[in-house]
Amino acid sequence: MEQSISGFWGRFDRGRWSPHLTKLTTKLSNADGRIYQILFLSIFLGLGVIERDWSLSWSRVGITLSACGFTQVFFALLYQRFNSQDSAQRFPFSGLLSALVTGLSLCLLLRANSDLTMIFAAFTAIASKFIFRIRQKHWFNPANFGIAIALLFGSAWISPGQWGHDLWLMVVFASLGFAVLGKVGRWDTSLAFFASYAALEGIRNFYLGWETDVLLHRLSSGSLLLFALFMITDPRSTPNARLGRIFWAILVGIISFIFQNYLFISAAPFWALFVCAPLSVVFDRLFVGSRFGWLSKRPFAQFSLT
Amino acid sequence: MSALLKFLSSFFLCFLAFIFCSSPALAFCGFYVAKADAKLYNQASQVAIARDGNRTVLTMANDYQGDLKDFAIVIPVPTVLKKDQVRVGDPKIMQRLDAFSAPRLVEYYDSDPCARLEEFSRDAMRSNSVLQSPSAAKARRQESLGVTIEEKFTVGEYDILILSAKESNGLETWLTQNGYRLPNGASQLLQPYIRQGLKFFVAKVNLAEKAKSDSQNLRPLMMAFESPKFMLPIRLGMTNARGEQDLLVYLLSPKGQTELVNYRTAKIPSDLEIPTYVKSNFGEFYKAMFNTSHLKEGKSLAFLEYAWDMSSCDPCAADPLSPEELRGAGVFWLDNPNKDAALSNSGRRRPGFFPPTNNSNVFITRLHVRYARNTFPEDLSFKETSNRQQFQGRYILRFPFKGEMKCEAAKEYRKQLRDRQEKEAVILASLTNWNMQDIRRKANITQNQEKNVPFWRNIWRN
Repeated sequence: MEQSISGFWGRFDRGRWSPHLTKLTTKLSNADGRIYQILFLSIFLGLGVIERDWSLSWSRVGITLSACGFTQVFFALLYQRFNSQDSAQRFPFSGLLSALVTGLSLCLLLRANSDLTMIFAAFTAIASKFIFRIRQKHWFNPANFGIAIALLFGSAWISPGQWGHDLWLMVVFASLGFAVLGKVGRWDTSLAFFASYAALEGIRNFYLGWETDVLLHRLSSGSLLLFALFMITDPRSTPNARLGRIFWAILVGIISFIFQNYLFISAAPFWALFVCAPLSVVFDRLFVGSRFGWLSKRPFAQFSLT
Repeated sequence: MSALLKFLSSFFLCFLAFIFCSSPALAFCGFYVAKADAKLYNQASQVAIARDGNRTVLTMANDYQGDLKDFAIVIPVPTVLKKDQVRVGDPKIMQRLDAFSAPRLVEYYDSDPCARLEEFSRDAMRSNSVLQSPSAAKARRQESLGVTIEEKFTVGEYDILILSAKESNGLETWLTQNGYRLPNGASQLLQPYIRQGLKFFVAKVNLAEKAKSDSQNLRPLMMAFESPKFMLPIRLGMTNARGEQDLLVYLLSPKGQTELVNYRTAKIPSDLEIPTYVKSNFGEFYKAMFNTSHLKEGKSLAFLEYAWDMSSCDPCAADPLSPEELRGAGVFWLDNPNKDAALSNSGRRRPGFFPPTNNSNVFITRLHVRYARNTFPEDLSFKETSNRQQFQGRYILRFPFKGEMKCEAAKEYRKQLRDRQEKEAVILASLTNWNMQDIRRKANITQNQEKNVPFWRNIWRN
């Protein structure tokens, strides 16, 4: 992914814009996944409002994003103060990008009657990163945590049917999803989750005697795809080792299937992730020596999706 | 003071006209199984679901038009239902729910531009949803087929069996042997329900009981049960209906809107000003508009027609339902103000299937689903939300001032009026896909105005 981007921009380097373009090229290819993430999530938000007539007010989007930003700054400063080894670091602006991603995810998924609930969810989401962390890793996907707490304690809801099943939308999600996953190296998690969930749904479909189009309909939900491509792939709350990630994602798939079909919980994958997220810490222990742990040598692309 | 009152009354006096599809046939979610060779098709149905937590009261009304002795219906249900869990509902309640939540027409009258701005509005409402109900057949026990009669009872004009089955072939054979005529492919459709552990609610008309009752039509069937499954089986109904069927679902909840989980829901176009001539054929307009929206959105989604707290309405297509009527619609969580009356008079009033809790909130969601086998492969799944956002299908008629106008302001008014009428015609054309020329002719848009309209507008719309 990085290569293809520099290759593309590289062609322009010889022109008279080359100094500027080189700068831009370097910036783009070095940009962490969150930049893409923010861009794509904003596109999805736009699609939702324009194409899917979500009744979403822009003021609420602004309030949610600001709440995420302020909470991030507040906790980052607090964290810096109490962790002397971090005090040499600059003011952690990079955390603001993560907060923006989390905020956009909240706007995409969470619906509430009042702005206060959104602020509550935003605060909880960002706070969870600082409270539930171990060795620079989060126990929970921040947006997932914030939404779950808002659902449990506030008057909020999520709408799994909000995207529908249109093919063109699947194509948009899939292409943007894989673009960002290639950048962060988390496509294995997406595939393992989707494959295990789809396999179980397929077996159940066959056993019950439903036609294939029922299965396709169940699997082609926009919300499911968005979850598989963007939410479950957050590097900060998934296991470091590839093998660990694969097993962990399969577990999320199995639990989603059980929640969906035997406990009749709507938005099952969402709750399955909430339940499984802390286990990624355990998976990190189990698979720590794995040769697939290459990603842990790199600085984390702090890339929390939803 | 009187001017103020007049002004205020203009906001509160709304005249609403509602017509839903001119023949809103109503049918069940299950399929009809006829004993005779009668060709039975169900084209539309109305279902009310009152649900709080896992507690559910389901009311189904249908439009069965054939001979009552031929009527039978099979509905998958999540649990075995005992006699006291099944009731016959009052058909009027379904009409009340329909009327209360129906898309509405609002009229406003322009004031004399030469006088002070005053708006008057009047409202009226009509509803032509007609309710009729089901009929049935015979049943005997044959365990060798793996079919068990879990319960057998008569409620109102219905003979009801609750069956559980092990194999779909056995159930199909059992039903056929017992005189039910099944549509082709029934076995294949029944199997997934059997394997999901669902039971089958089989109802037919008890002709002797029916003769005793006053009503001509079959009354709605109500059933109460507790189940975490919040779904409505529509797949069985696809076998004996040709093409698309209409389903109106009234979802009643103490919390807020109820959403469809496995299909997208779009809001029906609303709050639009349309030409005044639509008043006389609102039903036709609504049908055309629904059809156009349905096609435009790709057919595989539900439409939200109404979402409102039932304690009020603005404007009202019909008076809000009384607590008594809400209980009749299955709302079991209302405070019961006169429990003694309920006890002493239980024959007449419906005490509710579950003990009442301290909650007087009822939020209604009206979903209109037009489904067919290829566009809606799965049964409908719902979920309750705390969404209190209100929505209604509302269409506005603005009548021009007809009196004599002798002032400068009148010129300006006439110009604005022409622009407005043209805009209304364009909106109507895009909503209904009706011919622009016809709309102009019917709306009586003046020649004067047509001069200002570019020629291509006659064939191309915005």
